[in-house]
Amino acid sequence: MKIEFKLNKKSVMIEVDPMKRLLDVLREDFKLMGTKEGCGEGECGACTVLLGGKPITSCTANAVHAEGKEVLTTEGISEEPDGKLLIECFDETNAVQCGFCFPGFLVSAYHYLQTDGENDLEKIKTALSGNICRCTGYQKIFEAVMMACERKANGK
Amino acid sequence: MNFFKPKNLNELFEITATIDEKYYFLAGGTDINVQIKHRMIPQNANIIFINELHELQGINETEKQIIFGTLTTFEALIKSDTVKSYLPLLSDNLQNFASPLLQTTATIGGNIANGSPTADIMPLLLILDAKLILANKTGERVICLSDFYSGYKKNDLQKGEIIKSITIEKSAQAESKTYYRKVGARKTLTIAKVSIAALWEIDSLILQKIYLAAGSLNEYARRLPLTEEYLTGKKISEIDDVKLFAIIQQEITPISDLRSDSDYRLQVFNNLMKKIIT
Amino acid sequence: MKSIKKFDAIPKLNGSWRYLDDYQYEGMINGQFLLSDFHHGKIKEIIFPEGYNLEEFTFARVSDIPGTNIVPEPVNDQPFMVDDEVMHKGQVIMGIAHPDKRLLNEFVKSIKVTHNELPAIYGMKQCLDDEANHFGKADIIDHRTDTPVDPNWIKHHNVYYTPHQEQAYLEPQGTIAIYKPDTKEMYIRVTAQCPFYVKGGIENIMGDAIENAVVESTEGLGGAFGGKEDFPSLLSGVAAILSYKSHKPVKMVLERNEDIAITTKRHPARIEITTYTDPETKKIKKLEIDYRLDAGAYQTCSTVVMSRGILHASGGYAIPDTYIIGRLFRSNTPINGAFRGFGAPQAFAGMEAHIDLIANDLDIDPYKFRKINIFHIGDEFPTTQPVMENNLEDCLDRVIVKSDYSRKVEEYRVWNETHDDKKGIGISMGYHGGGFTGNGEKNMKPKIRVTIDKDAIVRIYVSSTDMGQGAHTTLAQLFFEEIGHPREKCWVELPHTGKTPDSGPTAASRTIYIIGNLLAKTAREIKKELGFDNLEEYVKNHQDEFPKEYFRIFIPDSSVVFNDQKYIGVAYKDYSWAATVNEIVWHADTYQIELIKSWNVLDIGKVVNNKIAVGQAEGGILQGLAYGTTEYIYKPGFGRINGFTDYTLPTTLDIPEIDVEFIHTDNLVAKGLGEIPMDYPAPSIRGALHFATGVMIDEYPLIPERIFKALKEN
Repeated sequence: MKIEFKLNKKSVMIEVDPMKRLLDVLREDFKLMGTKEGCGEGECGACTVLLGGKPITSCTANAVHAEGKEVLTTEGISEEPDGKLLIECFDETNAVQCGFCFPGFLVSAYHYLQTDGENDLEKIKTALSGNICRCTGYQKIFEAVMMACERKANGK
Repeated sequence: MNFFKPKNLNELFEITATIDEKYYFLAGGTDINVQIKHRMIPQNANIIFINELHELQGINETEKQIIFGTLTTFEALIKSDTVKSYLPLLSDNLQNFASPLLQTTATIGGNIANGSPTADIMPLLLILDAKLILANKTGERVICLSDFYSGYKKNDLQKGEIIKSITIEKSAQAESKTYYRKVGARKTLTIAKVSIAALWEIDSLILQKIYLAAGSLNEYARRLPLTEEYLTGKKISEIDDVKLFAIIQQEITPISDLRSDSDYRLQVFNNLMKKIIT
Repeated sequence: MKSIKKFDAIPKLNGSWRYLDDYQYEGMINGQFLLSDFHHGKIKEIIFPEGYNLEEFTFARVSDIPGTNIVPEPVNDQPFMVDDEVMHKGQVIMGIAHPDKRLLNEFVKSIKVTHNELPAIYGMKQCLDDEANHFGKADIIDHRTDTPVDPNWIKHHNVYYTPHQEQAYLEPQGTIAIYKPDTKEMYIRVTAQCPFYVKGGIENIMGDAIENAVVESTEGLGGAFGGKEDFPSLLSGVAAILSYKSHKPVKMVLERNEDIAITTKRHPARIEITTYTDPETKKIKKLEIDYRLDAGAYQTCSTVVMSRGILHASGGYAIPDTYIIGRLFRSNTPINGAFRGFGAPQAFAGMEAHIDLIANDLDIDPYKFRKINIFHIGDEFPTTQPVMENNLEDCLDRVIVKSDYSRKVEEYRVWNETHDDKKGIGISMGYHGGGFTGNGEKNMKPKIRVTIDKDAIVRIYVSSTDMGQGAHTTLAQLFFEEIGHPREKCWVELPHTGKTPDSGPTAASRTIYIIGNLLAKTAREIKKELGFDNLEEYVKNHQDEFPKEYFRIFIPDSSVVFNDQKYIGVAYKDYSWAATVNEIVWHADTYQIELIKSWNVLDIGKVVNNKIAVGQAEGGILQGLAYGTTEYIYKPGFGRINGFTDYTLPTTLDIPEIDVEFIHTDNLVAKGLGEIPMDYPAPSIRGALHFATGVMIDEYPLIPERIFKALKEN
C-alpha cells in the first residue's frame, strides 16, 4: 500500500505493508535508528514518537496509522528549539546513563513542554509515566525536565 | 495479513459480508498489535482498518445523552469538557489508565470489544448504565453494556456488526456519590488485579440506589445485581457485613494467577466495599 | 570531584549513538534460537512447518560445532546447544538464520519439537529446600570458637527466601557475527559487558576452524547490570556458527519475551540463619548461616556468586563465633548468573532481616541493636581479615541523624494508633568488597594501555565497557585530572579485543576501583618519568619522542592474601559501605506498600564524578527497593513471568524521594560503586513493614498478597 505522510517535517511516501509496525517502518525503511525497541508491547516507551502531535508507542502502531499524519521522531525533535533545550538540560544534569530509553523520554518530555510546560513535579511524573528507565531511578530525568520548564518559562 | 481499508461504514459492511472466517477491527492497535506479536492473531488474519472512519469518531451530545464514538481515545475522554461536566467519574478516574503513550491511541470501543476481564473502562461504564449502539448494513440496535458479555471474551456482536458508539445518559452520574478503585501491581501501566466501581444515592442514611460493578473478578466485568438488591433500600446501620459478603461471593469468582491470589482479590474487594458502605 | 559532562549524552539523545540493532552490514541475515519448551527430557523429533523453502535457511546444530560445545565459565558445564538431554526450558536446540526477520520468526515459532519427558525441578522451594539437591561442593567460612553455647543465650532460627530478579536492561540482548573466510577470522560486534569473555566463547565453539576471534563493543550498550556478562558468549557463539555456515553477517537480537525467558537472572536464595544472643549485653555471640543459591541447570559462574555471597552473609557485625556454608542447588531452569550485587543482595536480605527479628524479640530498637553489634576497628571478618575502618558505623549514624529516625519512630507509632493506613520506617546496612574476590585480580592480571600522540591526544585502551555507568567518562577523568590534561584530549577507546588489552570484565565493582585507580597511578608515573608540568607543552617541545605507548598490569597490594579453599585472609582490600533508612506507608485496604522516602549514606571513597555517582546510586537503590517489593519471576503453580506487562518495574509514579549522600570522600582511593546501591535497601522495607503492621515476612518480594497472607495467619 502507498502511504504518504510527513516525517520530521518532510513529506515522504513509501510502498509498504500497511500492517508493518510503525517502529519498523522508521528503523528499516527510513533508517531512523533513534527510535528503539525495548519490549514490543507498548510497555516501556523506548519506541515513543509523536504521531499527529501526540506521543504514541510506535511498536503498537502500524504504517497505516501514519497515513496523512505528521510523525516526529527523536531525530526531528532534537532539531526543534524545545528539543534542543531538553537535550541541553539532560546533558547538564548528566542524567543520561545507558541512554536506550532516552529518545523515548525526549519525545514525551518534548510533548509535555509543548502542551503544558508547567514546572510541576507531579505533572512531569505523569507525563513521563509511560517511559520506563532501569538505570537512573528517574531522579535526574525529573531534574532535567524541571530545569527545561524553568528555562523555557524564563524565555531561554 | 489480508488488509482492508473501508472508506466508510457501508464499505465496511460490504467487506464483512464477503469474509467467511474471523476478522479483526483495527482501531488504535494497542491490543491487536500485541496479540499479533504473541501469535494469538495469525499471520493470515483478516484485518479491517477502522481508525479513520468518521462515523465512529467524536463525542456528541443530544439533549439527554452523551454519545461516544467507538474510536474515542482515552485521552479524548479524559480531556472532554462534556465528560468533565456530566460524567466526571470517567475523567477523574482514568488518568492513570495504561500510560499517557497508550491513552493517545487506545479507544474505548477497543477496550470494550477486546473483552479482557480486566478491561479498565468496563466497571465505570457499567455503573453509568452505558448502552452500545451496534451497527450493521441494515441498521442499528441498542444493547445494554451489562447484557453485551455472557462469558469469557463472548459477546453479542454478530457477524457483520460493529460497535458504533457508546451512549450514556447525561443524568447517569448527576449528584450521586461515586467510588472507583483499581488495584494493580503498580500505579500505572498495570493490569487490574481487582477493580470496583460504585454509584449510589443516600438519603437519611438509607441507600436509595446503588449500582455496583466488579472488574477482574469474573470472566467479564459485571454488575452485581444480587448485592445491589440486598443493599438497596437498606439503612447503612442495618447492613449485615457477613450477609453482604456472602452475597458478594455468589457474584464474583476471583481466581489465582501469575498476578495475584484469589483470596487476596476477594478480601481486597470486600475491603473496598466496606469503604463504600461506611 | 568535578562533574564533567558525559560525552555520550547528546548523541544518545538525538538518536545518532549506535546500539547493537542499529548496526547494518552488507548482506546481513537474521538469526533466531529454536528453544526447548519443556523442562527436562530427550528430544525425539524436530518437525519443520510446511510451506517454507529450507534452502533459504541456515541451521546451526551441535553437529556443526568445529570446536567444543561448552561455554567457557568458571565451571565449564554449560553447552552452547543441547547435545543430548534438554536440561531446562528455554535451552538452545539450534540456531536458525534467514534474510527475512519476520518470516524467520514465523518459521521458528511454528517448529514442533517432540520429546520424552523426564522428571524436573523448577520450583524455587522445590529446588532449595531439598538438602540433597545440590551440585556437590560446599564453600565454608569457619570462624568458630570453642566457646560453648551458654544456656542463657537466646536462640533465633529462621529461613529467608529471595526471588529471581530480571535485570530488565532496556536494550534486549543481541549480537552480530561476521565470518571472514579469507582471513579465517570471526568478528563479533556485541552488546556485552566483557568483550574478552565473548572472545573466549567464540574460540571455544569455533576451535581450529578460525585463526582469530575479534570482538568489538557497540558504541551504545543499553544497560546490563550483570545480565550481559556471560549470556553474550552463548548468543555470539551460535551466531558465529550461523555466519560460518552461511558466509554472511548474522544478526541475532532477542525479543523481550525471549530475553526474559532464557537469559541469566539473579539467583534465588534460601538463607537459613541461627543466632545466639546474650540477653544481658544484647550482643550476638554465635552465628550459623546456611546459604543456598538456585544455580539453574548448570553451575557456570554461580560458584563465584556464591563465594561473594557467603563473604557478605554475616553483615557488618562483630560476631566472634561464626560458621557459614554456601552451596549451589540445581533446577531445570535457565541458568542464573551475574546481577548487580552478585550474591550480596541475597546475603543482606537474610542477615538484616534476621537482625530485625532478634531486635524485635528482645524489644530493642533496630538502630540500637545494630549499634551494639556493629563491627569496629579491632574486630575481624569471619575470614579473619581485620576491619580497618569504622566507616560502616559512620554511614549508619549519619543516615539515622539525617532521616530524623528517632523522632519519626515516635511520631509514626503515635500516628499508627489512630489511622488505618500505617506509616513504617526501617533500617538496613551493607557493604561491598571492591574488585574480584581474593586472588581473582592477581590471577586475572588486568592490563591497560595508554598512548600519547604527537597532537597530545591521550588514548586509553581498556576492555571496560561503558554500559551507562559512565565508565568511559570517569576513567578518562581519573587520568586527565591527575595530570591536569584537557578533557578534550583524553579519551577511552571503544573496546576491541584486537586493540585493547584484557583489563578484565566490566563487573565486580572493579572498573573505577581497579582499572581507574591504575590509570590514575599510571598518569602519575608518566608525569614523573617525563618530568612535565604541562603535558601539552611537553609534547609540543619533544615531538620526536612521540607517539608514546605505556602498558601496565594491575598487581594487587601484597596484603591481599587469600586462601580461597579455606576462605581465610583478605577477600577484598577495600570495602564500600552503606546504610539506609526507608519510610513507607502501608495501605490497609489493599495491603500495598507505598515507598515514601529513601535516605542513603554511602562511603565509596573518592568520588570521581559526583553527578554520575549520584545517578548510579539512585538507579541501584531503586532496583534494590523494587527487589524488595515488586519484582519476581516465578510463582509456584503458574510458571514464570515473561514480559514487561507483568514483570513489575517501577514507573515514574512508583518511586520514593531518594536522598543520597557520600561521606569520607577525602579518601585517595576511589572505591567500588557499581553494585553497593543495590545490595542493602530491600531488608529495610521489610523492617518498615514490620513497624507498620507488626508482621515479619521472610520471603521477598513483599508483595501485597504475601502481606495479606501473613496478616491473616497472625
